[in-house]
Amino acid sequence: MPALRGFLWLIGFLLLGEVLITLTGLPVSAGVVGMLSLTAWLVLHSGGFDDIAAAARPLIAALALLIMPGVVGIFFMLDELAGQLVAILTALLLGTLLSVFTTLWLLRRLVGDDDAGTREAINE
Amino acid sequence: MSDLITHLMANPLAAVALTLAAYFAGERLFRAVRAPAWCPPILVAALLLAAALWLLGIDYADYHAGAGWLMLLLGPATVALGLPLYQQMGHIRALWRPLLLCLPIAAGMAALYAVGIAWLLGAPPEILASLAPKSVTAPIAIGITERLGGSVALMMGGLLVTGVAAIGCVGLVARWLDIRDERLLGLALGINGHALGTVRAFEIGPTAGAFASLGMSLTGIITALLLPLAWRLPGLIG
Repeated sequence: MPALRGFLWLIGFLLLGEVLITLTGLPVSAGVVGMLSLTAWLVLHSGGFDDIAAAARPLIAALALLIMPGVVGIFFMLDELAGQLVAILTALLLGTLLSVFTTLWLLRRLVGDDDAGTREAINE
Repeated sequence: MSDLITHLMANPLAAVALTLAAYFAGERLFRAVRAPAWCPPILVAALLLAAALWLLGIDYADYHAGAGWLMLLLGPATVALGLPLYQQMGHIRALWRPLLLCLPIAAGMAALYAVGIAWLLGAPPEILASLAPKSVTAPIAIGITERLGGSVALMMGGLLVTGVAAIGCVGLVARWLDIRDERLLGLALGINGHALGTVRAFEIGPTAGAFASLGMSLTGIITALLLPLAWRLPGLIG
């Protein structure tokens, strides 16, 4: 039953997130607040998360399945989007090229680019 | 026949079964045809599911009402991402200074470029709101789009295109800037290409993969925290 116990923990953190965003009025989703609360809780307790891992791993593995009902919707709204497709695709493709360039350029300036970094990280 | 299907679709489990079947069939087909590296398995599965709905004459709204039971699990699954984030703490501690500077800018730019270009090309606010979280991992992005008032389906399509484009762009730009550091490649893949980029990063190497999942989680968090606030700024949508 560790997976179910862990599931209860995850739902508990999700509901905690719901309570926090309702009380504070923050425009953030309950899932993100719950995720940060879980990370904070794990940092504070450092370890002892076997139950949570038993529920978290299969759920993370099933993420692609869980988002499928949303992905399918795109095929049923192509007609609606016909006039906007050029704008949408340009924004996505050109926007991604520009943001990848910005990210890599910034990272190289701030983190530094050396193969030593790769070796160090591997040796950790 | 159509009466029978209507009757079956009244039970949410029919939609859940369709989704599961398409998922596993898609996975098999993906392996059988040796799909190219840029084609995510979920795209194959989603195409199969769309074809099945169309062939059976099932209304997407009816399907979606049933499949909502499956999507209910997205909430706990989003919370579950806190576990890998916790396991990345070592990397976060080692690089917190450059990450603190770079991530908000990179995550902001990922949203801003796309929204800016679409706005210049005259896209309406609903489309802008659907494109804004394009570099965020899906479970978090769904929450963001709902908050901004965009279409979840369009956002998902945008996410797929972005993930595929990010993999290509990182390869191209890295060659151009002559960057070989796995940490940088991984971060760039995770920040811009969410889960799809992260999968690609794990193919480059374990270091790139670890840094990609770090970039993906942090981009998701930062965008989730800042984008809905930025959206409230007047004048942005014009």
